[in-house]
Amino acid sequence: MACKRSGVQFPSAPPFVFGGLNYHGSMPAVTVVMRTFERPVMLARAIASVQNQTFTDWELVVVNNGGDPAPVDSAVAVARQAQPSCSLRVIHLEDRFGMEEASNRALASCASEFFAIHDDDDSWREGFLGRAVEVARANVSAAAVVTGVTKIVETYRGGKVWPVAYENFYLDEGRLTYRGMIGNNTFPPIAALFRTRLLSEVGMFDSSLPVLGDWEFNLRAVNVGGFVYVNERLANYHTRTADSDRAAGNSITVGEDLHRDVKLRLQDRWLAEPSVNGVNKGLLSISAQALLDIDEIRRHGVANGGGEGVDGEHIAHRTAEIIALRKTWRRVARALRHPGHGVRAVKRLMRRVFGK
Amino acid sequence: MLLTAEQVLDGTPTATVLTVDFFDTLITRSVAQPTHVFAVMEQHLVAELGSAWSGFAVKRVRAEHDARVVAASDEPMRDVTIDEIYLAFAQAHGSSMAERRMLIEREKSTELALVKPVAFGVALVSAARARGMRVVIVSDNYMPASHIVNMAHAAGYSWVTPDDVMVSCEHGGMKHNGELWRAVIEEKSLDVAAVLHVGDDVLADGTMPASFGLATNVRDVMRRSHRVMANTSPAVLPLSRIEALYRDRSANGIWPSAEVLGGGAIALLVASQIVDVMNALKSRGVRSVQFIARDGYLAHQVWEKLRASGADLPPASYTALSRSVIWRSRIENVSEEVAHRLVGDDEVLTVERLGRRVGCELQSAKSGPLTADEARALLMANGSHIVAASRELRSRFVSYLRSVGLLDEGHHLLVDLGWTGSTMADVAEVVCEETAGAATVEGRLLGMYWDAVPHRQRVPLHGYAMNEFCGADDNVRLLGCQSLFESLITAPHGSVVGYSPSTVPEFAHTACEQRAYREVGEAIAAAALESAFRILAGTHESGVTASDISGDVAWATMMQLGHTPRRDEVELVSSVSHVTSVDHEGDGEPLIAPMPSQFVVHSELPEVYDSLMHANWVQGTLARWESDATTRWIPDEIRKLSPMFQPQWVQIP
Repeated sequence: MACKRSGVQFPSAPPFVFGGLNYHGSMPAVTVVMRTFERPVMLARAIASVQNQTFTDWELVVVNNGGDPAPVDSAVAVARQAQPSCSLRVIHLEDRFGMEEASNRALASCASEFFAIHDDDDSWREGFLGRAVEVARANVSAAAVVTGVTKIVETYRGGKVWPVAYENFYLDEGRLTYRGMIGNNTFPPIAALFRTRLLSEVGMFDSSLPVLGDWEFNLRAVNVGGFVYVNERLANYHTRTADSDRAAGNSITVGEDLHRDVKLRLQDRWLAEPSVNGVNKGLLSISAQALLDIDEIRRHGVANGGGEGVDGEHIAHRTAEIIALRKTWRRVARALRHPGHGVRAVKRLMRRVFGK
Repeated sequence: MLLTAEQVLDGTPTATVLTVDFFDTLITRSVAQPTHVFAVMEQHLVAELGSAWSGFAVKRVRAEHDARVVAASDEPMRDVTIDEIYLAFAQAHGSSMAERRMLIEREKSTELALVKPVAFGVALVSAARARGMRVVIVSDNYMPASHIVNMAHAAGYSWVTPDDVMVSCEHGGMKHNGELWRAVIEEKSLDVAAVLHVGDDVLADGTMPASFGLATNVRDVMRRSHRVMANTSPAVLPLSRIEALYRDRSANGIWPSAEVLGGGAIALLVASQIVDVMNALKSRGVRSVQFIARDGYLAHQVWEKLRASGADLPPASYTALSRSVIWRSRIENVSEEVAHRLVGDDEVLTVERLGRRVGCELQSAKSGPLTADEARALLMANGSHIVAASRELRSRFVSYLRSVGLLDEGHHLLVDLGWTGSTMADVAEVVCEETAGAATVEGRLLGMYWDAVPHRQRVPLHGYAMNEFCGADDNVRLLGCQSLFESLITAPHGSVVGYSPSTVPEFAHTACEQRAYREVGEAIAAAALESAFRILAGTHESGVTASDISGDVAWATMMQLGHTPRRDEVELVSSVSHVTSVDHEGDGEPLIAPMPSQFVVHSELPEVYDSLMHANWVQGTLARWESDATTRWIPDEIRKLSPMFQPQWVQIP
C-alpha cells in the first residue's frame, strides 16, 4: 500500500489470521514483539519484564533474528517454567534480517487490538501495559500511547550487567506530534503501544531500513490518529556504557554513524517526494532537526557543555547540499518543461568542461 | 512509668488555666505520622479519579515546604494556611481552582475520618475541667480554628468552641518562634503564673512557653512512631497502621521496641513472602513449596499455623540449603578462583578451621594462623582431598533433596529473601541434572538485585518487593540494609553447613548468632509470627489483611525500617552481628559499625563508605553516627558522596 502523505509503497498487513490465539482460545489484547540476536542474558531479563506485567492479556512473540537458536530456546523454556500459562512463542529467522523485517515477520500474524515492540535489552515497569491499554481504550482515535521513559545506563561485561546511572528521558506531548517527531526520533520503541489497525492503514515497518525504522513508521502512524502521552515513567530504555562488551551495545550507541547515514537517506527520500500543502517532508525534517538541536542547547545550556553535541558544521553542510540538490531538481524540471532550455544548458556545461 | 493526667496537674497546683497542644497531645490519627494522612488521600484519589493522582502525597508534602518558603520570605514569623499550601500545589502541578477546592475539602474530611482521641489528653482535660480550670487549645497548624473544632468534636471533645482554640495560621506567629504565645497571653488575658501548658514538642511546648513564664510539661510519647515525614505513599500505610496501633497501646508506658519491630515490619515482610507464594499458586500447577533455611523459617512457621487453622494451603517444607553447601558440593577442581571463593581477602584462618570449611582434613606443614594467600595455597595443594569431600557432600545433598521431595517430577517453588538468585540457580541446575529435567525450580524472592540478570537463564526468578528493573538507587539502598533483614528474618538455628550420612541437616553453632537470637531475635520472631498470622488470617487489630499486601507495600516496609530506622530500632539491633563467612564461624560483623575514630579525615570517607557497604547495615550505622555531635559530619558527607542514602526514598513519580 502507499503512504497517504508520500505515496511511498509499504507492505500492508496480511489478512486476519488466527495465529495469535492465547491459552483461553481468544485473541490477546496485546501482541508484544521482541527481536533478539545473540544476547540470551538480556533476552531472559526482557521476557521477565513482560511476564511481570500486571496486565496479563498479552502474547509474546520472540523473533530470533538469525542467531543461535539454542540459547533463545533455553531462555524461553526457563521463562515458561515461571508462567506455564503465558502465551509465548518463538520465531527463528533463517538468516539475520534488518530489525524492521524481524518485526514485520512477527506482526504478520498479529490479530490483537494493540502491539508493542519490546527490544531484548529494554524493560517495562510492571504497570506499563495496564496503563497504556487503559489510556488507549479511553482515546479510541489515538494511533498510539507513549509513556514516560527512564534511561538506564548500564555496563555489560562477561555475562554480568550492572547499573551505572539513570536519568529521565526528555519527552513531552509536543515531541509526539508530527512536527515534534519529524526532526528526530523522539522516543524509543519500548515506550509505545500501537493500535494494530495502523498496520493496514499505513503499512508495515520499512524493511529496507537497517535502523530508524521505528521513526519512519511513527511519522506515518502519527498522521492517522495522533499519539497520546502518559506522563508516568513506565518504560526503561537501557543503553550500555562504552566499556561494555560490544555484542551488548544497543543499536544507537554502537551504530551512531549508521543512524546518521540512514537519517540522511530518509531525508533525501522525503526531499524527493512531492510537497503536501506546500510543505516538503524532507525540508521540514531538516529544519525541525535544527530547531531540536537549538532546543537541546537551551535546555542543557551551552555553559554545561550542552552545545558540544551539536554539530553546527554538519548542519551547515547539510543545508548547502539540500540547496544544491533542490537547484538541480529545478533545472531538470525546467529542462523537461522547456527542452530548448535544456539543450542550451547542456551546451553551456560542455563548453565549461571541454573548453571552447 | 509516665505521669498520669492528675499527677501532671498536681505538679502545678497554682494553675487555673490549662493550655494544651492539639495534635499528638489531645488527638492523634490512625496512622503512624501526620504525612501519612496524605497517603490515605492519595489512595482514595487514585481509586476514584485514576492513576494520574499517583504521587499526590509526596507532592503535598513538597507543596507545604514551598508555601513555607514563600511565606517566610515576606513574614518569617507567621505560619502558612491550607489555602496557601494548595496554591503552591496548584502552581507546581497546574491544578485548577476547582481541584484546589476539592483537595482542601478532601484533606479536611480525611483528617476527620482518621482522628482519634489520645487517652492521656482526654484524661487531662477532663481532670482540668473537673478542677474548674479554663482550657485553651494552642496549636501550630495550617488548618483554621473551625476545622480544629470539628476535629476535636470528632474525637469526642464536644465542649470545644472556636473561642477555645488559638491556631498559628490565624494569629501571625507560631509557638515555635514564640509569637503565638505572645498572642495567646494577650488575647486570652492570661496571668502567666497561673498557666500550665502541656504539649509534645520540646521547643514549641517547652522552651518557648517557659520563656514567657508558663509552667510546662512536655510529653512526646505520641511521636514515637514517627519516621522521616517526606516518605509518604499509599504503600507505607499497612506498616503505618500497625505501628499506630502499637503507639496507642503503649501511650502510657515503655515503647516495646522488639515487639513493634517484630509485629510491624518483620511480620509484614514474612506475610509478604507468603502472599507472593499464594499469588503464584493461583496461576500454575506446583508440586511443592519449599521455604529455604534460614530466611524462610518464619514464613514456614506461619504457613503451618495457617494450615492448622484451616487455611486452604498445600503442604510446604522447610528446606535446609545454604550457599556455602551448594558451592562446596559443586567443586570439581580447586582452581585459584575456587580458592578465592573459599577464603576472603581479609580472613586469617587456622588449618583446622580451613579443614572444617571444606569438609576434610588438610595436610599442612604449617600450624598456627594462615594468611589468606597461604590458606588458598594450602587448599590448592590439597585439591584432591577437597574434590573427594565435595563429591561426598554432593551425594548427601542430592539424597537430602530427594528426601524433601525436591527431585519429584513437577514444578517446585523455592522461597527465600534474596538477593542475586545464584543459589537458586545452582539448586535448579542440580535438580535438572538429577532428574533429567523432570523436576523444575522457580525462585520466589523478596528482593532481587541487578546481579540476578544472568541467573535468569538458569532459573525463573521473581522478586516480589524489588527486581532488577528498579532503579540503581533502590538497588544500592537495598544493598545497604540487606544484612539487617538477613539478621532479623531468620531461624533459631545456625546456617546449614552439611548433612549427616542419613541426610539430616547439620547446622553451624555460631556463638555470636546464638547470643543475638537470645537477646533480640527471639522476641522479634515471636511478635512477627503472631502478627503475620493475624494479618493473613484477617484478624489483625489494625485491620491490615493479606489483601493490603503487594510488592510495593513490601518494598515500602523494607525501606521504612531499613532505610529510615527510628533511633530505638538502631539501638535494639546494635548488639547483633552478621556472619557471612563460608563456614559460618567467627564473630561476624556488627550490624551497626562502631563510631569511627575521631581522626577520620575527609579523604578517607570513600574507604569508610566501602567498608560499611561491605560489612554493615549502612543506614542504621549512619543514623547512629548522626545522633552524636562529634560524628554527625560523617553521615552528612557520606550522603553527599552517595545521594541515594539521603533519607527520602519515596520520589515524586
